[in-house]
Amino acid sequence: MRRISVAVLPLVAVGALTGCGSVAGREQAASAAAVRLLTAVDGKDGAAACAVLAPGTASEVEQSGGKPCAEAILDEDLPKPGTVTGTRVYGQWAQVRLSDDTVFVAVFPGGWRVVAAGCNPQGDRPYDCTVQGG
Amino acid sequence: MKRFLRQNSLGLVFGVLFLVVLVAEAFAGHADFNQQQLTEGLAPVSFARYVTSASFGADVLENWQSEYLQFSLYIFLTVWLLQKGSPESKELDKAGRESEQEQKIGPHADETSPRWARARGIKLWLFSNSLGLVMGLIFVLSWLGQSIAGVAAYNEQQLGNLEDPVSWPQYLTQPDFWNRTLQNWQSELLAVASMAILAIYLRQRGSSQSKPVGSAHTTTSVEG
Repeated sequence: MRRISVAVLPLVAVGALTGCGSVAGREQAASAAAVRLLTAVDGKDGAAACAVLAPGTASEVEQSGGKPCAEAILDEDLPKPGTVTGTRVYGQWAQVRLSDDTVFVAVFPGGWRVVAAGCNPQGDRPYDCTVQGG
Repeated sequence: MKRFLRQNSLGLVFGVLFLVVLVAEAFAGHADFNQQQLTEGLAPVSFARYVTSASFGADVLENWQSEYLQFSLYIFLTVWLLQKGSPESKELDKAGRESEQEQKIGPHADETSPRWARARGIKLWLFSNSLGLVMGLIFVLSWLGQSIAGVAAYNEQQLGNLEDPVSWPQYLTQPDFWNRTLQNWQSELLAVASMAILAIYLRQRGSSQSKPVGSAHTTTSVEG
């Protein structure tokens, strides 16, 4: 039994990284990406923060900040990583709700990446986000 | 075997065509879905993931429900509604459920009649309406399936637009649900109306859906 669990672990890890796997696994992988971003920004680790951003979001951060992503992302007014209060996954997209933030993530060739963070609801209109892709 | 194939060719050919077209739809839909994914810089999905996705489910089921609605309506409404000159209609004096004798039920059933045609009560009622009931049930289940797959597909788009996902009851009031539904309904109803009316004046020699070529335009309820 133990041997089977160990054998399955790499598959679960690959599934979580690539956006495949069970609903619970996908929710976990999506929320992990959101937490990783906010934790990296809170820890002033710009390179780690940019590594979890979607390509379009990273270049938008660079363009709007006028400096490399790893520096520009630390200037963004993103909240601290709070507790994950809920994750909803639909297809290749997920919305991660944290105690102080709402983050949108999607499956990219490298796995789950943050498309928008620091998002506030605007009624019937799309969320207004501090960081988002172009 | 050859005889079996010939005598069941209508059902078999349409069954095979259905499977071939469904598979073709899956391949085309998968390519289209991944084209959109790549345009947005997102990861392409595998064929297995696509055919189990809400997007594919909603696309398939929205067409199924409208086809079964069309046939259910046609089955029920042709009990009472008539179309003079159409082979799709009953004779003009036969509107309604018709007598037991005409329907060969109860004491009027003969030795070739199905067992439930000789029954009484709920069994007879069920068998007398079984075609419409089953087609109607498939319609309801397909439409329900469309709404369930549709809400998931819609929510994927919502998240892509940085908007909140909606619940299933909320989705039933969304334009997306009704647009998917009504665009299919209108085409089915047009096809039925066209068939009922065009078959008055036009012919297809040898087809069970047409009057014989030489039949008068005013002849109702005659199929070739």
